Amino acid sequence: MAKKEEILNVLKSFRDKGYDHLEMVSCVDRIKENKFEIVYILSSYGENETVILKTAISRENPQIPSAIPVFENAEPYERELHELFGIDFEGHPRLTPLLLERKYKIPPFRKDFDTRKYVKEVFDEIPFIEDKK
Amino acid sequence: MDRNKISKWLKEPDKMSGKYSLWALYFCTGCGIIEVPPVLTSRWDAERFGVIPVATPRQANLFLITGYVSVKTLRAIIRSYEQMPEPKYVVGFGSCPINGGMYWDSYNTIKHLDKYIPVDGWIAGCPPRPEAIFVAVTHLWTLIDKGMAKGYVKYREKYELYRRNQEKVLGTLEWPPLFPIKDDGK
Repeated sequence: MAKKEEILNVLKSFRDKGYDHLEMVSCVDRIKENKFEIVYILSSYGENETVILKTAISRENPQIPSAIPVFENAEPYERELHELFGIDFEGHPRLTPLLLERKYKIPPFRKDFDTRKYVKEVFDEIPFIEDKK
Repeated sequence: MDRNKISKWLKEPDKMSGKYSLWALYFCTGCGIIEVPPVLTSRWDAERFGVIPVATPRQANLFLITGYVSVKTLRAIIRSYEQMPEPKYVVGFGSCPINGGMYWDSYNTIKHLDKYIPVDGWIAGCPPRPEAIFVAVTHLWTLIDKGMAKGYVKYREKYELYRRNQEKVLGTLEWPPLFPIKDDGK
């Protein structure tokens, strides 16, 4: 676990120690604790080891510094998290839509996004086209 | 060649020539596309049935949707479908285009493909076996013979309704209507 403000320094120190490959940036929605858990997975080709770094941010104001200054390949992962969880990465150059076509009021991977209600409201409302008039 | 059928073929040459040369466009969505390469290659050899794969929608008249259809894919499917020359037939391959399949409560896949484009036949299964494609193709022959595979005619007649459904799920479409839209079409 690392603090949100120090995450860049922690990532940098791990990179300088040889964990120079950012495998993935991921997110867990801890809705009971009202937190988002951002997960950084680092690995080292030389030592063949994996390090998992976690940090927690609040759900109301989900902001965290972008990891792009340390690991450039964080860019698509952070775009994806912005789209699916609505997390703001400060300093990210383009937080534009990556995968999704529609606009969602609540980002769809959050735990309070009700997929069944959404399907009922959007896809089930569209009528079938009957053969006979 | 079946000589007994010659008189029938001479009466309706379009049906005979159409049904024995289904040029297929495979839309590689989802896992059903795994079943298609063995169908095309020497093991199951789809060319026995007159089915060959083509490169572009403009040469095809059989459209296979092999798997779930996400909202973003639907846009490409509609564009490909509208480029195909008539007569054109659509076959939904697998459970997902029929009613969503295992993605029935997903936020990003459309559930019923026939709300957006007309579909002439379905192959159920998750995913179906390659033989199911041949069952579908032979079934499609009988449908063509009886004049029942008329999805493209339905698309032309009810284009307003289809276009309205497409706009409901995709927002505004950036391409012009394929057929003229009547203002009083409700």
